[in-house]
Amino acid sequence: MAFASIFVPNFSLQAVVRAESALCERALALIEGNPPLCSVIAINEKAAQMGIGIAMTKTDAEQFAGAEIRPRSLAQEKTAHAALLDIGWSVSPRIEDTAQDAIVLDLSGLTSLFGAEKEIGAHLIERSAACGLRVNVAIASNIDTALIAARGFVGITVIPPGEEAQPLSRLPVGALSPSIETAETLSRWGVVTCGDFAKLPILELSERLGQEGVRLHALARGASARSIAIAEPAHFFEEEMELDDAVEELDPLSFLLGRLLDQLCARLAARSLGAAAIRVRFELEPSFENGVDIREAFPAEKRPGVYAKEIQLPVSARDSKMLLKLLRLRLQLNPPGAPIQKIMLAAEAARPRATQGGLFLPSFPDPEKLELTIARIAQVVGEENIGSPSLTDTYRPGDFQMRRFLTPREAAKADGGSGVCQKTTKHADAQAMTSFRVFRPAVPAKLDLHAGCPTRVAFQGLRGEVIAASGPWRTSGDWWREDPWQQDEWDLEIHFQAAPEQRDRFSSADLRSNSGIYRFYYDSLRRGWFVRGVYD
Amino acid sequence: MYVELHARSAFSFLEGASAPEELVGLCAERGMPAMALLDRDGVYGSPRFHLTAKKHSIRAHVGAEITSTEGWRYVLLVQSREGYQNLCRLITRMKLRAKKGEGRAQAEEVAEMSSGLICLTGGDEGPLAHALAKGGIERGMKYVQELCRTFGRENVYVELQRHFSRNEEARNQAAIEIARKLSLPLLATNGVSFALPQQRELLDVFTCIRNHRTLATAGRLLSRNSERYFKTHEEMSQLFADLPEAIANTEILSSRLQFTLSDLGYQFPIYPVPDGGSEMEFLRARTLEGMIGRYGPDNERAQRQIDRELALIEKLNLAGYFLIVWDIVRFCREKNILVQGRGSAANSAVCYSLGITAVDPVGMDLLFERFLSEERGEWPDIDLDLPSGDQRERAIQYVYERYGKLGAAMTANVITYRGRSAAREIGKALSLDPETLDRLSALVGSWEYRDPSDTLERQSRDAGLDLQHRRIRKFLELCRAVQDLPRHLGQHSGGMVVCQGQLDSIVPLEPATMPGRVVVQWDKEDCADMGIVKVDLLGLGMMAVLEESLQIIRAHHGEEIDLGHLPQDDPAVYSALQKADTVGMFQVESRAQMSCLPRLQPKCFYDIVVQVAIIRPGPIVGKMVHPYLKRRQGLEQPEYFHPSLEPVLARTLGVPLFQEQLLRLAMIAAGFTGGEAEELRRAMGFKRSEARMKEIEVKLRRGMTAKGIIGETQDKIVQSITSFALYGFPESHAASFALIAYASAWLKCHYLAAFTAAMLNNQPMGFYRPATLVKDAQRHGLKFKPIDATRSDWNCTLEKIAEGFAVRLGMRYVKGLREEIALEIVRQRGIRKFSSIEDLKQRVPEIQKSELAALAEVGALNFLSGRKGFHRRDALWQVERAARRPGPLLETQEDSQSACEIQESPLQQMTDEERLVADFRGTGLTAGTHPMAYRRADLKKRGIRAAIELAKLPDGAPVRVAGAVIARQRPGTAKGFVFLSLEDETGIANAIITPQLFEQDHTVVVHNPFLLIEGTLQNQDNVISVKARRVEALTISRAETPSHDFH
Repeated sequence: MAFASIFVPNFSLQAVVRAESALCERALALIEGNPPLCSVIAINEKAAQMGIGIAMTKTDAEQFAGAEIRPRSLAQEKTAHAALLDIGWSVSPRIEDTAQDAIVLDLSGLTSLFGAEKEIGAHLIERSAACGLRVNVAIASNIDTALIAARGFVGITVIPPGEEAQPLSRLPVGALSPSIETAETLSRWGVVTCGDFAKLPILELSERLGQEGVRLHALARGASARSIAIAEPAHFFEEEMELDDAVEELDPLSFLLGRLLDQLCARLAARSLGAAAIRVRFELEPSFENGVDIREAFPAEKRPGVYAKEIQLPVSARDSKMLLKLLRLRLQLNPPGAPIQKIMLAAEAARPRATQGGLFLPSFPDPEKLELTIARIAQVVGEENIGSPSLTDTYRPGDFQMRRFLTPREAAKADGGSGVCQKTTKHADAQAMTSFRVFRPAVPAKLDLHAGCPTRVAFQGLRGEVIAASGPWRTSGDWWREDPWQQDEWDLEIHFQAAPEQRDRFSSADLRSNSGIYRFYYDSLRRGWFVRGVYD
Repeated sequence: MYVELHARSAFSFLEGASAPEELVGLCAERGMPAMALLDRDGVYGSPRFHLTAKKHSIRAHVGAEITSTEGWRYVLLVQSREGYQNLCRLITRMKLRAKKGEGRAQAEEVAEMSSGLICLTGGDEGPLAHALAKGGIERGMKYVQELCRTFGRENVYVELQRHFSRNEEARNQAAIEIARKLSLPLLATNGVSFALPQQRELLDVFTCIRNHRTLATAGRLLSRNSERYFKTHEEMSQLFADLPEAIANTEILSSRLQFTLSDLGYQFPIYPVPDGGSEMEFLRARTLEGMIGRYGPDNERAQRQIDRELALIEKLNLAGYFLIVWDIVRFCREKNILVQGRGSAANSAVCYSLGITAVDPVGMDLLFERFLSEERGEWPDIDLDLPSGDQRERAIQYVYERYGKLGAAMTANVITYRGRSAAREIGKALSLDPETLDRLSALVGSWEYRDPSDTLERQSRDAGLDLQHRRIRKFLELCRAVQDLPRHLGQHSGGMVVCQGQLDSIVPLEPATMPGRVVVQWDKEDCADMGIVKVDLLGLGMMAVLEESLQIIRAHHGEEIDLGHLPQDDPAVYSALQKADTVGMFQVESRAQMSCLPRLQPKCFYDIVVQVAIIRPGPIVGKMVHPYLKRRQGLEQPEYFHPSLEPVLARTLGVPLFQEQLLRLAMIAAGFTGGEAEELRRAMGFKRSEARMKEIEVKLRRGMTAKGIIGETQDKIVQSITSFALYGFPESHAASFALIAYASAWLKCHYLAAFTAAMLNNQPMGFYRPATLVKDAQRHGLKFKPIDATRSDWNCTLEKIAEGFAVRLGMRYVKGLREEIALEIVRQRGIRKFSSIEDLKQRVPEIQKSELAALAEVGALNFLSGRKGFHRRDALWQVERAARRPGPLLETQEDSQSACEIQESPLQQMTDEERLVADFRGTGLTAGTHPMAYRRADLKKRGIRAAIELAKLPDGAPVRVAGAVIARQRPGTAKGFVFLSLEDETGIANAIITPQLFEQDHTVVVHNPFLLIEGTLQNQDNVISVKARRVEALTISRAETPSHDFH
């Protein structure tokens, strides 16, 4: 039995270069960290020659003229890893997904298909190169030796059975991936290579390093005998379709989406799974400026030529018709804005919803229907305007946020399983006995002041005299943000002069009266007066 | 006129954002006649508030917000001294029964101590707001009636604040109704929390720090608006236009508040004199006894001086003070605790005779008035140096015992926001991520020197922070604004105050972090400003070294050394000083001192006094060092600023070096009175005094012009005086330090082993790391023995060898080994020798594997097996097994395991390099070969000179030196030059890096443990250094050699 390990050295960097092959001609450094503080995590040879080093700060690295500094891309790494798996699966159905940068293939019975082991190695390297990955391949009689050798030796390494120890002996002991504590002990012992380690007497070693020592010793001798852990195919399903002619209308698009959703749902059904989320991604027709595709100037996820939407489902589903309706509604609400060239549809798999709920649970609206209803409302009012409003903990007048509606189950979960919905915290200012109707957005107004106190007001065609005034009530805050506020509020009793037809919108509940109590404010930053609302 | 009677300062610790001085300064600027400071649970800021107010002729009212058991706060103003004493006692009582920083007053206590206090009904956090929120106007009324019962109806004011808030105004309306019903006066205040509106931002940040939130999550904990600033009479009158009485009442109430801190009522304790005599008689007797011992019976000059001092002491009624200090010194002597007075006390022959100080002021012709003068009207200042650690603690505890818990306390040390702490806390509040914060705080305040472009902005840019970002901009603004504001109250390292009677009626006391300690709410300077006597019991590392050296000498040499009677003018000491061979010697070991010693060529004790005083920022900035050295070497003739100043400056060849000289200079040249000269001295030693120095400069110039000293001469004198604002030693203080310096030098020259062992046992202290001390001692012929679990104690000890004594390194140097484990090893081996590592592990079961490994790695277990050739790796091999406890099945097989131990390990012996790495990693030093020695042959081939060779080379020769960097300095006075000390096996070579080269090779200079310096040799008067032209990192060893950086 033989195993091959494929290892991608400098994986993060290769993942980026794979998507942009021109980069391999340049000094490239990958950075990671929270902006504005980032440090270098990977470099290519050219960058190393220039003097860029790992852990250098972005600012330091940028001082090297001509070096390309790119952020690490987890998305590209994910794709590169998927490609690595594909390379493996293209040769053997029995694959171990060992690490992001390494996989192991069971080569049993493959020599008749691909030739001798060295040829399999060459085949894998060739496949990898086609996928844009430069890899090391090691073939050995056991998995761990193959893995260690692939990490340790460049190119193709074939280790004949029974001769594992010899080549491994040259590698540093760190290649065995000991625990931090064991690595420290080995360092104190002056054990540098796998060969040094393999020479230690196993019995005494077990007394000192326990089972880990025994395991590492076997690894160092190339005597590991573990079996392969076959990789489960991913739970992420993707379908895509490149279109010869770009689609503009919703109906033909729905037809295509329907087909893709049918396939996706069929695959999910075959695995007894449902979709917890549907992601749609359209590539739009390029927009040229001076003959250049302006999309190139943007990172992939922010390109203007890409339209992406995600629909989170309250419960996992695989009803393609329902999913199509949801998609259509979302697309009507936010159309892509340009003809579509390529469609990518992905489903995040999850276990399907149990048909039977709890015996004593009250009946709630069918979650799927509820989601559809919410989507329909969102189509009318806008996505950011649907949900449960809740006050935020701030003095900023009128500030609130919309929280997504929770399904009964989610609500119960959020509430610690008690089944009781959480109440929003009481606002300290909410002691007023009268109710107050807020105008959103606030209505611009004009005020006449005398000695700093409002005397006359005018807004939206209404004019009135101030009968009584209370204020100013001053608030300011968020001074550290880009959108601070500073407002003086006044509660004004207004006696209106005329224009009752306008008052319908803005007057107090007592429409027959010619007066009302309103809240005005002066926005010091915008330098203007506004009506915040009316006391009912 | 409106008077602000409810203001908090930053001394409300995170509840106020302005210094008391700023608040009162603004008050003066606006022509307001008075103001009250009411900090939370204390009167921390009152002295500063009081002093600044006094300067501006403003009445500074005292008060405090006192937290009640229910969480709301009493708002109390002090009306009389009785009220002040009650307030202090109330705070002390609530503080002392709670944890540090906490404490709540009970209603009964408040009632008990309400006399002399006036109570306001408070703002948001006051009793009325609390009552209204709980039970509306009825409950509010009850609470106010309760306050009236507690404080007396005439002492309760219904407080109104207007910050443009609906809730607050609703409360105000209720308050007005209550006031009307109960016929109580209304009082307008603004509940000030900061001086200027923009400081609200800082208060918001403080709120976040206090509540462990960020600005983004603090929500309504933050301020509603910026209205709590210090408002003018006009602004307040406008706000309360409907209630003019509320404004008028502020003035009326202010006039009722008669108490200020000038009326503190402090009394120094009376010393209990035996046999009913007077304190003065007792002091005279003790002084005369001492005088005979010090000066002999017939020293007329001394007698005259002492009579003069005693007469003044009697006149100023200070006998008790001297006796109390004498008593502490006597206690220390009895308990064999080394003690020596320093500071201006050394100017007094009485102190010398009483044994408080060791410097003879008569022999040295020191100025007594510097210590005590009639017109100054303040307590003298006596500082006592004690060995740091337990011995000093014993002295402190003695003072507590003697004067009782409420009669003595430590002075506080107000910890202020400084670069690093400010950046960290503000960054957190602004939600800057931890990595950014780490980087930023690491950048702040590393080097003493800052070039003009080295601003926080530049540092932020270097850290990769975007200055266009609003949060970053705010961060920088806030960092700047928070500088020097109080952060929390610490305990001063040695300042103690004592009082006749109850100290808690003078200033509130608080528990300190250290159990059994209480701290007053004022810092050392505030106490001095308020006329409270303090005695500084300061811990000095070198005193501990001297004391331990004497013990070691007593134990091993059988000799008793009396530091008071060391041979004067010892040739070995002066020879070492002249050669700058001073590593480890007190005050004369720094690189700057070393570069001065060969020029100054000390030949007598007074030269050491000068040496100690001359390398200080004062003389350096005042450009006095080089003229003095040139004149001393005879290259220049002494010159005097003015002929009238010759008598003052003659002993220092026309160059002013000591504070006393500067004072006399001001008196003679500018006609200052003694009092004015004293004011000058206070300004010099006073941290917060830049403005004061400016005022004094104007006065100085005026005085000199009147005396006809003008132009360049005037400038020179002014420069000499003002530069002393940046630290200058008084002559007496320098003399006290010089005594310790001489003692340390004498011990090093004559008892090197004992002195070195004591130095190594009292680290960290001094200028050099232990690794350097060891190498220096080795070059002086001292032998070191390695750490050995079969012989080493926790401390370094002496062992007899053929040539005398060697130092056995102690287990304290094994990094990661706990002291109790080391002591248990020593105890167990005293019972029975260890037979193996397994045996050690079994008999010291608490020892952890990491500790065993640390011992093995540095070779401390090599001798445990008794087998020759047993090396560190053998030990490490055994340690791993010994540390793994066998299961119950195998526990009985000890014998066979021990048998196994004798077997050799399969591991390779460490190479020299590996041993070096292990030594430095495990102990921070090596007693073996210096890393540079291993590479000497290669280095020689590259034309690199050893440090010892440099002395033989001519000035100006091109040279290459290399070594382990043991010190990197960029002193504030050196204009950006960096000084490096490179150590090799032959000695220490000094290199100078220009600012340009440093800028260019910053990373190489700062980050590499071994450096090669190529440049020009400078040999001026045997002061040798290399002016670097090029710096190169060298790969000598992976050993992490330590370096003392950033002085």
